[in-house]
Amino acid sequence: MERMRSLVTGLVVLLFQFVLTLSPAHAEKELRLTVWDGDESLRVLREVIAEFEKEHPGVKVRLENVDYRYYFQRLLSQIAGNSAPDVAMLDPQNMQMFSKRGALLPLDPLVAETPAFKLDDYYRPIVEVFRWEEQLYVLPRDIAPIGLIYYNKRLFREAGLPEPDGNWTWDFNPRPELGTGCFTHVMKSLTKTGPDGKVKQWGFAPSWTGAFTDTVAFSLGARYVDDPANFDRMNFTDPRVVQAFDFVAKLSLKDRWMPSQTELSSVVQAAAVDLFISQRVAMYQCGIWDVPKIRSALKPGSPEFFDWDITLAPGYRDPQTGEVRRAAPTGGSGYAILSSTRHPKEAWELTQWMAGEPGMRAMARAGIAQPAMQRLARSEDWIPGPNTPEEQRYPASRIVTDEATQYVVFPPTAEYWTEVSGMVFSKTEPIYLGTATAKDSLALGQKIADQRLKTILKEEALPRFDWRIGGLLGAILLVAAVAWVFGPELRKPRTQVQRSENRAGLAFLMPWIIGTLLFTVGPMIFSFLISFSKWDIIQPASYRGMENYHEAIFSDPRFWTTVRVTLVYTVVSVPLGLIFALLLALLLNTKVKGMPIYRTMFYLPALASAIASALIWRKIFQPDGGLLNLMLFGANGQNDFFGLGRMLGVNGEPPNWLGNEKLALPALIIMSLWGVGGGMVILLAGLQSIPEFYYEAATLDGAGPWHRFRVVTLPLLSPSLFFTLITGVIGSFQVFTQSFVMTQGGPNDSTRFYMLHLYEQSFGSLRMGYASALAWLLFLVIFLATKFQWSLNKRVYYEGAS
Amino acid sequence: MTQTKNPGPQLGKVAATILLVLGSLVFILPVYTSLAMSLKTPSELARTAAWSWPTQPTFANYSEVLANPNVSFLRLFFNTALISTLATLGTAVSASLVAYAFAKVNFTGRDRLFMIVLSTMMLPAIVTMIPTYILFKELRWINTLLPLTVPAYFGGGAFNIFLLRQFFLGIPRELDEAAKIEGAGHWTIYSRVILPLSGSALATVSVFCFIYHWRDFMGPLIYLNDPQSQTLEIGLATYNSLRAEQWHLLMAGSIMVTIPLIVIFLLGQRYFVRGIAMTGLK
Repeated sequence: MERMRSLVTGLVVLLFQFVLTLSPAHAEKELRLTVWDGDESLRVLREVIAEFEKEHPGVKVRLENVDYRYYFQRLLSQIAGNSAPDVAMLDPQNMQMFSKRGALLPLDPLVAETPAFKLDDYYRPIVEVFRWEEQLYVLPRDIAPIGLIYYNKRLFREAGLPEPDGNWTWDFNPRPELGTGCFTHVMKSLTKTGPDGKVKQWGFAPSWTGAFTDTVAFSLGARYVDDPANFDRMNFTDPRVVQAFDFVAKLSLKDRWMPSQTELSSVVQAAAVDLFISQRVAMYQCGIWDVPKIRSALKPGSPEFFDWDITLAPGYRDPQTGEVRRAAPTGGSGYAILSSTRHPKEAWELTQWMAGEPGMRAMARAGIAQPAMQRLARSEDWIPGPNTPEEQRYPASRIVTDEATQYVVFPPTAEYWTEVSGMVFSKTEPIYLGTATAKDSLALGQKIADQRLKTILKEEALPRFDWRIGGLLGAILLVAAVAWVFGPELRKPRTQVQRSENRAGLAFLMPWIIGTLLFTVGPMIFSFLISFSKWDIIQPASYRGMENYHEAIFSDPRFWTTVRVTLVYTVVSVPLGLIFALLLALLLNTKVKGMPIYRTMFYLPALASAIASALIWRKIFQPDGGLLNLMLFGANGQNDFFGLGRMLGVNGEPPNWLGNEKLALPALIIMSLWGVGGGMVILLAGLQSIPEFYYEAATLDGAGPWHRFRVVTLPLLSPSLFFTLITGVIGSFQVFTQSFVMTQGGPNDSTRFYMLHLYEQSFGSLRMGYASALAWLLFLVIFLATKFQWSLNKRVYYEGAS
Repeated sequence: MTQTKNPGPQLGKVAATILLVLGSLVFILPVYTSLAMSLKTPSELARTAAWSWPTQPTFANYSEVLANPNVSFLRLFFNTALISTLATLGTAVSASLVAYAFAKVNFTGRDRLFMIVLSTMMLPAIVTMIPTYILFKELRWINTLLPLTVPAYFGGGAFNIFLLRQFFLGIPRELDEAAKIEGAGHWTIYSRVILPLSGSALATVSVFCFIYHWRDFMGPLIYLNDPQSQTLEIGLATYNSLRAEQWHLLMAGSIMVTIPLIVIFLLGQRYFVRGIAMTGLK
């Protein structure tokens, strides 16, 4: 009765929801604006939007925020579902995939219609980077060169160095005669080493080692590609690029003036700023966006406060000409209008407002983003003046951000850049670890990426995908599935009993049949059909036949790597997890006081928020001060926990778990063991349902604990064990989140799971057809693996089987 | 029987307690770290190790999270609770029906059809995401709770069906045979024999399902646009934005998001323990 009542209540609530959905749309014009900002920017945007709504009565703006990591997946789904927002934030790397496919409204006609609007107010380079085939598609809102050095004034004073004025250069070897003019010399002078040979204070740290290498390579005059918007070859074997990688590796591995990749894990992006705040590094390189974080950690007057400022990153002095060349790898963002908008006029008003003076001024005042308009970047809204409140004074020399815009180098805008450069960069990680030379690694990376580039650029004349044939194929598939299920049993005699069983089965299965036909079958068949096509999500699909499957097996350089990594993960983590879960379940099934509390504690990792857990795991695996290393090596780094320390250490040093090719996958497996809570609870429930009298009977027969376990526990638990095994294998073949959040597949592809590759192909490279082919190959493998395990079903003891 | 005391079980209990305490310490670590981080000021957070206990614990981060107008925590809390409850209800009802068919009804093609049920778990959701989105769009369900709750009423997902099937198969056959002889139909066996004996299995499925929906990220991310109709896990992501992480707020938020689940688990546990063994089967 209780159950019925709650069921009815639930249905009523659902019905209510239904009615709400069908209520007519608002009379006002509603614009949807989507961004990937953080909390502080959102506060500012909200205020700016409120002002906009006041100025434009009858227009409502709904601000939607999505984390950058998931932003494009969501936007693309919305475009495909024809419910895209009106205005969306975009950056240079991701503009082309939308503009090229006609998803964005060209802005030049709108600019021309608006005499009051002056495009010349914006920094030229960021306007140029948002053009594609001569047309402007994104109105810039900020420009973000990573060309700044944050420095600790106190540490400069203590080292007897004058403060840097930005007129410095990197020389490959320190030149003390240049004083603060030589960056390498400054780095060296600010590094302090303890009597034990350990570095106490680093001279310099990059936020991202890769961005630092880019800065050096670009200032040497190298560029990774010739035509950023449309390249067909890459220059990673350029001697200047090799020189830059060698230089950066030497600074950390040999000179020890900069934390190495091992010490500054590339995945803990906040590491450099934290080292700076805690005065363990004297200078670090970043863009302007770290300012709010430093400000909130270093409040003037507080005990931890020290004086700090920013200056321009060094350049490279050409030994022949004496000319200094500077470069700053740069990002930036802006707002684009989706071509599907029903209110283009209002959307343009909003874009001008958000990526124009009102929006930029507010962002500048909050110290969040450098305005894309020079006029504002030089005004007191951005540069501290006499009226600036005390806490916003830092950093004082914000004017250098304006100068930095002269040296900006944007990442290539070609849509395939992310994919092919990712292939090179995954091979360059060993350089920073000192396990491979720059020359070899870059050559290898370029070779793999070139192969991929050739495949991508190959022009294919493909016919439009014929959905009628597709539909037919889908119907055949459906019939085949039904035939496979019922075919073999059709010849069975149809007795009275069998007919009544069939009727009952149908009745009980009804919810599942309806649900599957409604929600599951369609999308599954769709993805199967699309696996024979080339589909970029935005434009109509074209027919590619078996080419996707052929490409996966024979020419995708990442396919077999990811298959191998996934298989290793599955083969190790599933049995390990199963044994672990069983042991824990047995332990939690003992009769000890306070058991509910213990059970909850063991289950906690499975309850904790996934986002927070990922962050904490990164901290646990951190090389310097990470909990795992503390346990193995002790606080002094000299201990040796049961000999594990010596075994796992790299040259006697605590390892960087997630940054080490050999340890990253084991680290992810260790992490997965913390999450066995689910399996543990299932096995525990299974144990609990074993009737006590079986044990009593076995004991009376003289069985010892081990015998009881084998004769009673294992057989009666086998249904639960079987379940845990099958779902564990299905899940681990599809392992994704761990590497997506923790390692992004690195280092050197050692954690690049099959699903990560599939994900990058689908929403990253817009090759949904190819990704579907990958998915169906995986489906086939999992299906066969499950079929195989199902043959073990005979050994599973079901007390109630008929 | 003689009354000599057997030291075995006593010793076993001590060993088990030691293992339990040590294990708890290890397993509680990630949540302990969240808690420690959530009680620190941003500057203490930047200067100290993550697992050190704050020198002066402060609840400032908690009140900031609760008061933040960007992420209206209470509103999101309500949304998340509603979605999780509705979905759990649907799953418990419909998955038990379907599982019953696979465990106790002997219909034609049963075992092969069960492989089809399992196979719906085998295709990565990434490639069905867009067609599913389009489907819900056509149904005009986008930006409502329907895509996140209604499917639960139609089958409840292969995982839950499978889990319940395994439990149902463990219920001794004599029971439903006896009912059958007395002339009971499948509906009677399901509602009078199987369900009353499956408290622990249903509790397990419900708790799992609730936790799953409470922590679900992708579903709400894709199907809900309006910030006011989002769920907690999406709200938390705001504090983890790329280049603008606010760890102190993220940790405070995540602790508050986890507490209801801990309560649910503590409560639900009573029912896992009360398995078939205790329902007077002998």
